[in-house]
Amino acid sequence: MSAVDGLKAAALLFVAAILQLSIFSQARVLGGEPDLLLVTLVAVALLRGSLFGAGGGFFGGLILDTGTLSKLGLSSLVLTVAGYWIGRYGETTGRDRRHAPFLSVATITALYSFGVLVVHFVLGEPAPAGAVFRGLLPSIVLNLILTAPTYWLVRRLLRPLDRGDYATEVQLLG
Amino acid sequence: MLVGLVLLALVLLTVSFRSPTSGALHSAQGWGAAALRPFQVAAERVARPFGDAYDWAAGLASAKSENEKLRKQLRDATATATANADARQQLAELKRLMHYEGLKSFPNDYRAVNTTVISFPGTFAKQVTIAAGSDDGIALNTPVVTADGLIGHVTNVFPKTAQVTLLTDPSSSVPAIDVTHGVTGLIQRGPQGTFILNRVPKDAVVEKGDLIVTRGTVDRRYPDYYPRGIQVGTVLSASPSDIATFLTVQVTPFAQFDSLDAVAALVPAKRK
Repeated sequence: MSAVDGLKAAALLFVAAILQLSIFSQARVLGGEPDLLLVTLVAVALLRGSLFGAGGGFFGGLILDTGTLSKLGLSSLVLTVAGYWIGRYGETTGRDRRHAPFLSVATITALYSFGVLVVHFVLGEPAPAGAVFRGLLPSIVLNLILTAPTYWLVRRLLRPLDRGDYATEVQLLG
Repeated sequence: MLVGLVLLALVLLTVSFRSPTSGALHSAQGWGAAALRPFQVAAERVARPFGDAYDWAAGLASAKSENEKLRKQLRDATATATANADARQQLAELKRLMHYEGLKSFPNDYRAVNTTVISFPGTFAKQVTIAAGSDDGIALNTPVVTADGLIGHVTNVFPKTAQVTLLTDPSSSVPAIDVTHGVTGLIQRGPQGTFILNRVPKDAVVEKGDLIVTRGTVDRRYPDYYPRGIQVGTVLSASPSDIATFLTVQVTPFAQFDSLDAVAALVPAKRK
């Protein structure tokens, strides 16, 4: 993992955030909304691990909050945790599985929606749980449609790492 | 690293929650938004032809029936406009004779800052970002309209961009008047994309098809955000209920909140 990888990941997430703000946020189908930033973050986190996932989530969330002029840190908070969690999955069990991107996107779409709902509720802002849960299934389907092309593109730019490049979980001394 | 980033996000969230419209972080967000604006506008322009093509294809299905309906509306509107022109001339004459001192009215006392929407409402926030800000004369609470009617007002302003809270937001409440029968009430969000004209007494007369516009300032001490006369919608139904304190008046908005594109912020014009 190098600084070049970091720059590539930042560029990918920046473009994804801009496209999300300007195009994908208008594409509502049956109450659901595709989230290109989330799908790109999942791809980056699966291919580069938890540190990239957490950092990428924070960076992507910051762009999203800045672009929508909403409260800074709100999206960053949830996306940081989401990116880290998917990164850990990529570093461990999800490493060699073909279904990992799809499983991760479906799971994280549900958890991200729930996370944002909780943060809005805690802040005392409108938290329409009914609308969120009604739109959840269409959102998952839309994100799954985006997963294959997005993961393919991200994988071309960020080649999968060798096993030895991942952070080791346990180090035996002596 | 995770803990550090989470803590940083919480700090940002706390600061922006405590001072949402001012302070150093607000200024930094404004610079960031200004830097992002060209990218958002470029992406929006690239995507627009595709959206237009989709709308064109979707509109073909109902084009014939809609054309017939619009022709009828045009005939009615022409007749109304003729009557209104006569009434306006009489009103101006009467005001002059009575030395009537009026409040700011729409559209004469306002100039439109035409701009584009660069971020769109989501499930949570019924707010959009527009590509114009305080540098263009926009201030907090500036009303924002489309060619169809009122959509909301500015709730956060930066030099190059501004945040508009839509009428579909649960916190939104607009004093309005039924111009056909002179009944006043508050426009608030209703079920399934409609609005409710709330606080209308049960004995008031409101009929289907009545035109609803903003009421404007009634008392100079309590100025309203919206000038009088901005179109909001038409009455869809009005019915009393045994359990409700007020008349239930459903209003269909003129503005299409799910396809906002070009909007205009109404900035007070300098009097000559």
